[in-house]
Amino acid sequence: MNSPPATPAMERALREAAAGLDRRSFLRVAGAAAALGLLPSGCGRAPETLAPPPDVTLAALTPRTYAVLNAAAMRLLGPPAAALVADHRVDPARTTDAWLARVPELRAPVQQALLVLELAPWPLLAKLRPFTALDPAAQDAVLDDLMRSRLELKRALFKGVKGFACLSFYAAPEARALTGYPGPFGGGTNAGRAAMAEAMRYPLG
Amino acid sequence: MAPAASLPPRVDAIVVGSGAGGAPVAARLAEAGLEVLLLEAGPRLSSSDFTGDEGAMTAQLYTLRLAGGSGLNLYAGTCVGGSTVINDALCFRTPPEILDAWRREGGLEPFREDAFGPFLDRAWADLGAAPTDRGHLNRNAHVLESGAARLGWKAHAMARNVRGCTNLGLCNFGCPTGAKQSTLVTYVPRAERAGARVVPDTRVHHVWLEAGRVRGVQAHRLDPVTRAPLETLRVEAPRVVLAAGVLETPAILLRSGITGDGVVGKDLQFHTSLHVTGRFAEPIHGYYGPTMAYAVTQFSDVNGNGGPGFMLENVAVHPIATASALPGFGEAHGRAMAELPHLARALVVLRDRSRGILGVDDQGRPGVRYLLDAYDRRRLRDGILAIARAFLAAGALEVWLPLNGVLPIRSERELEGLAQLLFEPSAASLLYAVHLFGGASMASSSLRGSCDETGQVFDVQGLFVSDASSLPSNTGVNPQITIVANALRVAEGILAQPRGGTA
Repeated sequence: MNSPPATPAMERALREAAAGLDRRSFLRVAGAAAALGLLPSGCGRAPETLAPPPDVTLAALTPRTYAVLNAAAMRLLGPPAAALVADHRVDPARTTDAWLARVPELRAPVQQALLVLELAPWPLLAKLRPFTALDPAAQDAVLDDLMRSRLELKRALFKGVKGFACLSFYAAPEARALTGYPGPFGGGTNAGRAAMAEAMRYPLG
Repeated sequence: MAPAASLPPRVDAIVVGSGAGGAPVAARLAEAGLEVLLLEAGPRLSSSDFTGDEGAMTAQLYTLRLAGGSGLNLYAGTCVGGSTVINDALCFRTPPEILDAWRREGGLEPFREDAFGPFLDRAWADLGAAPTDRGHLNRNAHVLESGAARLGWKAHAMARNVRGCTNLGLCNFGCPTGAKQSTLVTYVPRAERAGARVVPDTRVHHVWLEAGRVRGVQAHRLDPVTRAPLETLRVEAPRVVLAAGVLETPAILLRSGITGDGVVGKDLQFHTSLHVTGRFAEPIHGYYGPTMAYAVTQFSDVNGNGGPGFMLENVAVHPIATASALPGFGEAHGRAMAELPHLARALVVLRDRSRGILGVDDQGRPGVRYLLDAYDRRRLRDGILAIARAFLAAGALEVWLPLNGVLPIRSERELEGLAQLLFEPSAASLLYAVHLFGGASMASSSLRGSCDETGQVFDVQGLFVSDASSLPSNTGVNPQITIVANALRVAEGILAQPRGGTA
């Protein structure tokens, strides 16, 4: 099942998250990359396995940036999450696209940030090929380089993309199931109600 | 949404913001017979709208700004009721050391304990604050309690402003039962019963002035869905009380051309926070039960504690918040999230020494710059290591510090190796603050602050500030009661002025 399109509330959350990503930092990274001639137009083809499903019409992201966001989410959130994203049962990029469609002023910085991750090669990022064309280990190396970088801008890029991934992925009920959280009010299940009761009982063991 | 034309062109008082700083003022002024307009930038929701869905409710109820220089995420509530709708219902009286400093260093005599105490008493009673009994401590709180007890640390359950709490664990997403005594269910209804009109989805852009007096406000009505401005309205009033929160009140002043000779927007101060996560063999289910209820005060430097100046408090374990704060990524992240029922979390609440600044850009948008000094960074490090010690003492199998690149800790010995770690804010997986102070501080002179001791902006008759932006410093404890008490005090000061105006 596909994730539903972003609700207005979700759109607002993502908008705020994007503000938290420090748009200026994103733009500086993108600007630096562009100045170095490292950013092509971004209109290239998305890898087939990461392409949007046929029933999804993108309003803000390109097929390429859609692919970058979901590719990054799959590496950031671990194998079970990756499986859900890979078969579009949870679709962080679609949620983000629906939001960006209604927040036009943020389309450019988010697109540019994703394009930096996708297209910027060494020495800006630890790669020579597009992020989506890398094997998983190489993608992890790129993300690890961002996370551990001495450059605050690169750490900001890592935090921003991870923040998007966490917010848009774990908001989906299908994703919540990976965590064992029954949901608010015990999720309406006996197990959830038992968990609510157990949470208030101690000492442990 | 009512069109702007349906609003009165002139009222006795306009209150901007409906949270802890605004709603009490609106209630008191309306109860005294003034015609009051209470403007709120956020939407108006009720308990039945609060679904408990972490993603949707966070989206609807929170605003987020990033502080340049430190990467701090700054959160505030944006709805009728403000941050009281999303806070953890924790209640502390203003510590005597803080009141003493405001009086002694700031020359603010109204903060003598004997003068301010009655307002604290009234705030405490109005919000229904009461000690938390054991029936409202969950396993997540007990883990911190147990660790602190084994280490011999001072700690206690925190008072909360709830009536009939059923331990749903949804305090941060709007209480769906109305048990939490936010201003949404206390002062806002009181204000309305007294005749005040509450207008949501209305963001004040600036106040307008004439001959050194406030004349009214100019605001934008916002589309309830997209938050885009729909129309502009102007309402006149001889009294305007700003309580839009630390991220907005100083910005409104600056957009109004009120700079206080460069003082407005200065002296921001926060309680910077970091989360630590521990994994236990037993299920904790930290997403159920009161979101926060237990504090380690061993390291506090207020309320008679002689510590370095931070508290440790348990904090809820909801998926998005937990995922965002866990360090690292990939398989390890997925494994940790799969253990969510076995995770406990606690946070450091630092009484920052650092100070920041808020400004507005050429389009009037606020921006914050806040650099954590070396002393604060050391104490944040010490705070997260203290939580890790408590979790290990309570039996944690492993502990994640909120530092990207640092592996989980499994023993005291591993912890010792981090004692001299240099804490870099940009290495934190999530560094944030929800307790924001300053930017329009009260002071004894206009050289040192934006407002006088009554909350009235220097050199602007009739314009008051009643939220945390007017407090001279951070408080070292959760500030809800302090903000409400000060708002009540500001309201009494306004009512003590001649009713015909604010000459």
